[in-house]
Amino acid sequence: MTDNKPEITQEPERTERPERAERPERPERSERPERQERGQRGDRRRFVSRPKYCQFCTDKNLKIDYKNVELMGRYINETGKIRPRRQTGACAKHQREVATAIKNARHIALIPFEGDFWAEY
Amino acid sequence: MHKYETVLVFQADLDEAVLNTAVETVETLIKTNGEVTKIDRWGKRKLAYPIRKQFEGYYVYMTFDSEPSEIVNIKRTLGYNEQVLRFIILRLD
Repeated sequence: MTDNKPEITQEPERTERPERAERPERPERSERPERQERGQRGDRRRFVSRPKYCQFCTDKNLKIDYKNVELMGRYINETGKIRPRRQTGACAKHQREVATAIKNARHIALIPFEGDFWAEY
Repeated sequence: MHKYETVLVFQADLDEAVLNTAVETVETLIKTNGEVTKIDRWGKRKLAYPIRKQFEGYYVYMTFDSEPSEIVNIKRTLGYNEQVLRFIILRLD
């Protein structure tokens, strides 16, 4: 009986944080159904811890390809900029290759020059 | 001869028949002094940004063998082609 006590006391700790839901950007984001269809998870990267080792050095089979929209999308931020090395964790060599690949992909309108992925234009 | 790859973005608001002939003209253009090894039609895709007031593009991926001197001609002719919104030609080898 006494063992149950600490479990019960833990429950009230999970308090909801109402100030989060009141953020003005929140509802706007959920209004974009295309994002789920395309398998894009734009919100994800802001909360994920950054990789400690270059993704392309770890997985030799993973080719840097400007045609791979899903992969290229991971290396640009919400405003369409190329994410810096300190965020992507890529090594200098592969970061350069990623940068040129993104520029190629931008040219053929696979990824945007500026702005979020499937934002209205 | 070198290996090249290209991605062509055609206007998506054309008829299917017109699109097919547009793809074929590019094919024959390459074939004049080279060989098309692969054609992969990605189909209609939303453009990441509008090009010439178009919001969609018809994507075609090709690999081909050609002489480097021919690429200049291909690029020039594609530039005049109004049905092609964008193209990119890269060497594979």
